[in-house]
Amino acid sequence: MNRLVTVVLARVGRMMLTVLASAAVIVGLWYAFIAVFDLNSLVAKDPQAVWDYLFTARRAPASRKAIMDGLWHTLGDAGLGYLFGTVAAIVVAVTFVLFRPVERALMPVAMMLRSVPLVAMIPLLTLVFGRGLVAVGVIAGIIVFFPSLVNLVFGLRSGPPAAADLVHAYGGGPVMVLRKVSLPSALPALFVSARIAVPGAIIGALLAEWLATGQGLGYYMQRAQQTFNYGGVWASVVVITVASIVLYAVVGFLEAVVLARYGPSPGRGGRARR
Amino acid sequence: MTAGATLLGVGGGGLLAACGSDSDGGNSSASSGSLGLLTVRLSWIKNVEFAGEYIADQRGYYKAAGFSGVNLISGGASATPQDTDVATGKAFIGISSPDITANAITQGAPLKIIGAQYQKNPFAIMSLSKSPIRTPQDMVGKKIGVQATNESVWSAFLKANKLESAKITKVPVEFDPLPLTTGTVDGWFSFVTNEPNALRVKGFDVTTFMLADHNYPLVSETFMVTDESIAKNRDKVKAALTAEIHGWKDATADPTLGAKLATTIYGKDLGLEEKEQQLESADQNKLILTDVTKQNGLFTVTDQLIEENIATLKLGGVDITAEELFDLSILRELYKEKPELV
Repeated sequence: MNRLVTVVLARVGRMMLTVLASAAVIVGLWYAFIAVFDLNSLVAKDPQAVWDYLFTARRAPASRKAIMDGLWHTLGDAGLGYLFGTVAAIVVAVTFVLFRPVERALMPVAMMLRSVPLVAMIPLLTLVFGRGLVAVGVIAGIIVFFPSLVNLVFGLRSGPPAAADLVHAYGGGPVMVLRKVSLPSALPALFVSARIAVPGAIIGALLAEWLATGQGLGYYMQRAQQTFNYGGVWASVVVITVASIVLYAVVGFLEAVVLARYGPSPGRGGRARR
Repeated sequence: MTAGATLLGVGGGGLLAACGSDSDGGNSSASSGSLGLLTVRLSWIKNVEFAGEYIADQRGYYKAAGFSGVNLISGGASATPQDTDVATGKAFIGISSPDITANAITQGAPLKIIGAQYQKNPFAIMSLSKSPIRTPQDMVGKKIGVQATNESVWSAFLKANKLESAKITKVPVEFDPLPLTTGTVDGWFSFVTNEPNALRVKGFDVTTFMLADHNYPLVSETFMVTDESIAKNRDKVKAALTAEIHGWKDATADPTLGAKLATTIYGKDLGLEEKEQQLESADQNKLILTDVTKQNGLFTVTDQLIEENIATLKLGGVDITAEELFDLSILRELYKEKPELV
């Protein structure tokens, strides 16, 4: 168990360093960008201006509340989209693995659909699914679905053939192989796709809010831009970026914990050694 | 003006010469082109909404006023807000509305409104006549499509009429009023000049009521420039307004003129219908030409109307004084110097 803690701590430490380093780089690039393009300070807010907007300005509490309300709404929408997309991806991936002909028939279609720009499809999607939570789940879910599907199909196939043979030898069928071999070996794939899919779900949620529901941070940003509230636009971008990075880190942390226990070589993590 | 209209059909350089001598023959101090290229940021796509600008361009009024030419920058749903373009110097003068400019000023943009094309704002709620929405109260329990750009107007309008926003479902929409015809929404936030005529031409029977008739008296299509231009480039601002006045005098005299220019030249790629553009132009002329502007000159705004505007903005939560938002001194000076412009 101590090994597990060490693995996790090392992982968290590395991640914190990475996050700090990227934050410093982003702030540096931000200042440089404004300086190089000589942007008007009315429109282009630097990190200091965003800080003022959120914390020191007279209207800061009201601005903060508006943005945080939007953020929670957007995170809720993103969570919904992630759930929709991942559940759908798992179901389809399992079907593909159990019934190979289905995969051969449908995978190319799925990949083709993937290349249709989502923004172009939104009017159609709102026509079919309305402008409520279902539409959010579908729009954000689509972004999550495709990378997860590809990763999961690959992950489900990555189980050691010998293990599958063993299950067969003891009289297990394909479902048993799936449960005992394929699903556990697909866990890393689930997390790898989560790292792509979680930020994707946020993008999808923002898009759905902007074009379909008119709520959350996605719409707030659109409105702020239209009412010359550029402080609000920049602050929203910062807040949603930070939220996205935090979520990415959380997924990485969970991944470290789960993989240390069930990963491809759990032996390094504990039991087998003792 | 009918002579002008036929000339316009012919087009070409002879036209400029013919019309350059019209009425005042240009500012004597401004030799041709000395003021450089004028950039005008429009508030919307290049439809007949900017008839006066097209005519001023075609008939050489900008050149007669001392500019080497004009660059009309199109607006539209996904364009940078017009006030941003003027505040950051991408355009010299812009066409906007008091609520947008007031928001920009309270956020620190150094802008002023120097005149208004529409004396009455064109915002309206459109509905299909088979289930009409005739008053603000009729909207309760209905679904109304509102564009993000018009969001602040919408919420101010609800407050002005003491309507609870929770009782009306606001649906975020783009600008094509198709969802109204399919029944997705019951009402559509429109320019009374624009979307209703678009649907009428397509054969739909629509009902509208205007926000201006229900406690929302804002001027619209306002000209704005930066404080710096007012202080340092007064003559250039006056020259721009002179050209605009000439253009709009022609546009209000004949609604077919701007419609033709919009459909055949400026908005050629927009798929505009000339018939619809004519209807729109005629409707918009009613908002521009009032008894007051016929007497005081185009684009003028009375002090009383300014006060009403400020009070309306306050209802929408925008706290701004008349002096911070309006500066009509340039227009007053212009009409004093050239009374023939009225």
